[in-house]
Amino acid sequence: MEKILLKNIENPNSTDINEYIKAGGYTSLPKAIGMVPKDVTEEVKKAGLRGRGGAGFPVAMKWTFASADPKFPKYLLCNADEGEPGTFKDRPILEKNPHLLIEGMAISGHALSAEYGYIYLRGEYPAAKHILEKAISQAYDKGFLGDNIAGKGVKFHLAVHQGAGAYICGEETALIESLEGDKGQPRIKPPFPVNVGVFAKPTVVNNVETLSNLPYLIAVGGEAYSKIGSPDCPGPKIYCVSGHVEKPGVYELPMGTILRDIIYTHCGGIKGGRKLKAVIPGGISTPVLPPDKIDCPMDFVNMPKHGSMLGSGAVIVMDETVCLVKVCYRALRFFEHESCGKCTPCREGTGWLRKILGRIEKGEGMDGDIDLLLSISGNMLGKTFCPLGDGAASVVQNFIKHFRPEFEDHIRSKTCTVAG
Amino acid sequence: MIKVTINGKEINLEKAMTVLEAARSAGIKIPTLCYHEQLEKYGGCRLCLVEVERMPRLQTACTLMVTDGMVVRTETEAIANVRRSVLEFLLINHPLDCPYCDKAGECELQDLVEKYGPATSRFKESKRKVTESLEDPVLVRNMERCIVCTRCVRMCEGVQGAAAIAVIDRGGHSHIEPFSGGKFDCEYCGNCVSVCPVGAIMSRLHRHSYRPWQLVSETETICPYCGVGCTLVVQVRDDVIKRVVPRIGTAVNNGLLCSRGRFGYEFVGHKDRLTAPLIKKDGVFEEATWEEAIRLIARRLGEIKDTFGGSSIAGIASPRCTNEDNYVFQKFMRVTLGSNNIDSTARTGYAGAQAFIENIFGQGATANLIPGLSNSDAVVVAGGDPTAMNPILGLQIRACARKGGNILTIGHIKGLRHYTPVELRPSLFSEDILLEGILSALKDKKGLPGSNQILEGKIKDINLSSAEVTRVCGISEKDFALFIDKLSGASNAAVVIGKEVVQSSGGSYRLLLLAAITYLINGRVYLLSERANEQGLLDMGCAPDLLPGYRPLGYAEFRKKYEIAWKSPLPEQPGLTIFEMIEAAKSGLLKAMYIMGENPVFNMPNSKEVEAALKKVDFLIVQDIFLTESARLADVVLPALSWSEKNGTYTNMERRIQRLRKAVTREGMEDWRIVLEIARNMGSKMNYEDSENVFFEISRVSPLHRDLGYEEIEKGTAIYPYKGEPLRSLTEEIRTEKGGSIESAGKLYLRLERPLFHSGTLSRKSQALVNIYAGAVARISPGTAGRLSLKDGDIIRISSGIGSLDLPLAVEKAVEDSVLMLTNNFEGRGAFSLMEYSIDPVTKAPVIDGNVVTVEKVGR
Repeated sequence: MEKILLKNIENPNSTDINEYIKAGGYTSLPKAIGMVPKDVTEEVKKAGLRGRGGAGFPVAMKWTFASADPKFPKYLLCNADEGEPGTFKDRPILEKNPHLLIEGMAISGHALSAEYGYIYLRGEYPAAKHILEKAISQAYDKGFLGDNIAGKGVKFHLAVHQGAGAYICGEETALIESLEGDKGQPRIKPPFPVNVGVFAKPTVVNNVETLSNLPYLIAVGGEAYSKIGSPDCPGPKIYCVSGHVEKPGVYELPMGTILRDIIYTHCGGIKGGRKLKAVIPGGISTPVLPPDKIDCPMDFVNMPKHGSMLGSGAVIVMDETVCLVKVCYRALRFFEHESCGKCTPCREGTGWLRKILGRIEKGEGMDGDIDLLLSISGNMLGKTFCPLGDGAASVVQNFIKHFRPEFEDHIRSKTCTVAG
Repeated sequence: MIKVTINGKEINLEKAMTVLEAARSAGIKIPTLCYHEQLEKYGGCRLCLVEVERMPRLQTACTLMVTDGMVVRTETEAIANVRRSVLEFLLINHPLDCPYCDKAGECELQDLVEKYGPATSRFKESKRKVTESLEDPVLVRNMERCIVCTRCVRMCEGVQGAAAIAVIDRGGHSHIEPFSGGKFDCEYCGNCVSVCPVGAIMSRLHRHSYRPWQLVSETETICPYCGVGCTLVVQVRDDVIKRVVPRIGTAVNNGLLCSRGRFGYEFVGHKDRLTAPLIKKDGVFEEATWEEAIRLIARRLGEIKDTFGGSSIAGIASPRCTNEDNYVFQKFMRVTLGSNNIDSTARTGYAGAQAFIENIFGQGATANLIPGLSNSDAVVVAGGDPTAMNPILGLQIRACARKGGNILTIGHIKGLRHYTPVELRPSLFSEDILLEGILSALKDKKGLPGSNQILEGKIKDINLSSAEVTRVCGISEKDFALFIDKLSGASNAAVVIGKEVVQSSGGSYRLLLLAAITYLINGRVYLLSERANEQGLLDMGCAPDLLPGYRPLGYAEFRKKYEIAWKSPLPEQPGLTIFEMIEAAKSGLLKAMYIMGENPVFNMPNSKEVEAALKKVDFLIVQDIFLTESARLADVVLPALSWSEKNGTYTNMERRIQRLRKAVTREGMEDWRIVLEIARNMGSKMNYEDSENVFFEISRVSPLHRDLGYEEIEKGTAIYPYKGEPLRSLTEEIRTEKGGSIESAGKLYLRLERPLFHSGTLSRKSQALVNIYAGAVARISPGTAGRLSLKDGDIIRISSGIGSLDLPLAVEKAVEDSVLMLTNNFEGRGAFSLMEYSIDPVTKAPVIDGNVVTVEKVGR
């Protein structure tokens, strides 16, 4: 498949606007601006584009909700708070192909009649901040941003806002809180951001990768775009593969590529020819899969049928040398650290789970600990304010579901027999 | 109509509400913790999760709005499990120190665990440890007990508007702390204490001195401090006040209190309270029996009346005493002693301002509901900080800002600085020009309405260009234009006037300008009132020219009515104002004075003069709860019962009559009863059984209070004109006196600081308030400090024409240049001891804004 999102990134000057234009960039924006906003949304709908942040929500539907709200101004926020462990799919776009995102945002801004956009950038991406700011300034200079885009009187302004390192700020309402200057904590929904978002105005929050699909989508049209990848959720998808494979990295493949093919064909198989033990297919919050369950198409529609989720497309591959209790413990340490503290089950539950996993890992587990873990995580699942707590609980539940013997072994032998 | 089914019960609702509210309206209980009816929704504790049909996840009842046809279940096994598990989560890091936690017994967490929680713990690890913080003078923070419901934070930020605390850290490390860390840098309202469901933030005042179930009585009464008249509940054990708490649903304060109201009750049980009458013999006080004291007073007052006439005797009534006390007092003065020389410290501002404004707009024009302020679209504030003088009223102004109203301040008003889109800070002595400018600009924009010819006649020639105004006042044209723009666009505006307006040179002219501005924007006037019953004592006729019911003494028909009611002739000539009394005492014309619940030596400017004057009076009676500066000069001191030890009524600034109730028992008599005893000893036939009896007479004779009884008052809705009638409006000629122009360059002016934490005699005997604000501090601006080569922390000697004081210096940006701010709240260190005054010929209020002082550094 030709590269769409990662096109041209081998070019050492890919971040320069002239290189981007030379490679065919900034042609979709004038085209989109020549269209009625509603028609742009219609194309996106035809394309069947789904949000790439993890939930896979239909993009056109979100836009339609925001457009239907009579309040102005409307805001477009780009969620560049790429914090899900294992995920680094947005980074090459932000650092190597910033104009693709800028063009995508300007197109989206036009579709929404939004005049202001913000890129909420992960605090740990300082390089991307400079690259984006420089690219934005170039785009202003060339008239692709500002008060009169492409000479058509369309207004769209864009700024970068850097987060301060909180995972929760990837959740769209927490992101909005943080952008407004408050502590990053999720808001009560409803009202949804499409109606009451940043500064209490209709707001669309889309992921970097989602927005970066737009220039191509507009260039070829929704119809042609929808032919790429899975019919139910088409388009290119960036998979970022880490862990025990021969060639870890970022892969742009059609949506719905089989997980086994990603690991064995594209990434060259398990490192050193060792045995595969487990795969987390879409970032740490998505359910872990054992080796016999990886013949699944990696898209939003099919992954749930195979017991997991596409999430951010962050494939974490673990071979036989990995202690899964330790992985589970580390995951929970992460969730405990990142829990915002707003709701009781997540604030207290993540820490409690981590403590129990910690003692099992250290060989101090007790009889009944596994049931206790299942009970506590069950008490969290579906009861927390936002999906962070659900993610934490489901990690524990799925690790135990697929790898219970390993947990039992830790408790019985009072030590880790896997990693030694 | 919205139909919702909860647990199979169909509920029909008139308006949209949350599932929780709908359930409660139908008597269905859903447990909650982070929910609080006064606060913004949060949805954090997850205790109120319920099942809703056709919704994939459990929903928080406190945030979910009902929709027509919604089907909710709250008592399923899954929900029972949720409640148990949420409480289990809350308990894993909770210290379970109920045996020595003051909250035990009224702890929401404890109650909920008892009802819904797990019986045993599955948590085997170590708990979070946080040291208890005793850094604050009145609060104790125990973050081990905190359940991070954030009620305190939402109260502090969203209701109190102080934004002093926040959730610091995140996740399991979340805890509540002031931004500055350590000590709270806040208004110490304690409203966080009210809403804390557990023992995480509590009052230090009663720490470990009671259990909630040992509180034997709860008495709903009215706060003794300012004129807002908050309802508070006094909780008592062993006849000692253990705690003062607010109650949700009360008329004025609805669950909120300020620092004075909540923490300022310790004066009641103070060891310095007077216990027995004192008679001065050879310059030394000796304890006496009531009989001795009263006989002596009756004899001496009788002699003086017989020898020099009633007009040689004067009485000072008290804005801290009840309506009943003040009514009996003025009746005694007028009927028994034949003197109209009755006045009070309301004369220092409130009385004159009210008379002035109501002369223009009609009687009762200043009687406006305090909660109504929050619904205004613009509030102009002049002459002082409402959030310090009348804190709960100040909260309504902040609420107004939060609802989108414009708060427009004249001068720097610290407590509103975050709430105003524009403050106009005129240079010293240019306030009149600024008001003239605002008036001119409003006239240009809106024109004259034509409904009050007298007022329009007074202002038609005031025309100042904005360029001129902004130049003279030293403010930016942009700010001025914004101010005018916001103000002229208002359709429901309020004007809040503080005492400083009245106490400045040309105070009456300033009042005229403010009245005219109010007139042009069709606004409502609020006069800030520093004392709890300042309004009531005026209503009771404790003024030299007013009879009860605010009836002018000068009208023979009114006088006649009272002569018939009281079966006694009344002196015709208006009596002396409080300042005239001081003059008369100085010149020897006053032979006797009876001061009830007031401390003029401290509470009036030029304290030394007042002291000298009182010393010249042949026979001085002071009736008080402490041996005050004034009481020390007395020939006889009579100990009175204080607030919370007696029944009666107070009338607040919105003219709501409210019931003061006895909460603790103390030997002694109410003020009115002492006066009555003296009157009867002098042959009067006056007689009352109790305070209700006194009020019954008030309701018979005062046309404002007609047919009003305690039963009606207790409903909380006895608001002006009660059940009676106001006087028909009779706008007379509006007299004003302009202030002279004052050259301020190079001089330093002493001005009065009116702090949030103090009132005077009561607050300085309340240890908690003293702990918050311990002593007098002189404050100047950085600019002034630079000019005078002084530094923060210096000890300076402040000298005026009449005295000097050595005080520590604080350099603060909020202070105007060329001004030295000093409180009049601390014994021996009051600003009034350095201030001279002149009397405004119209309002009869003291003018104190022109006191020049010099300062020198005497130490560090």
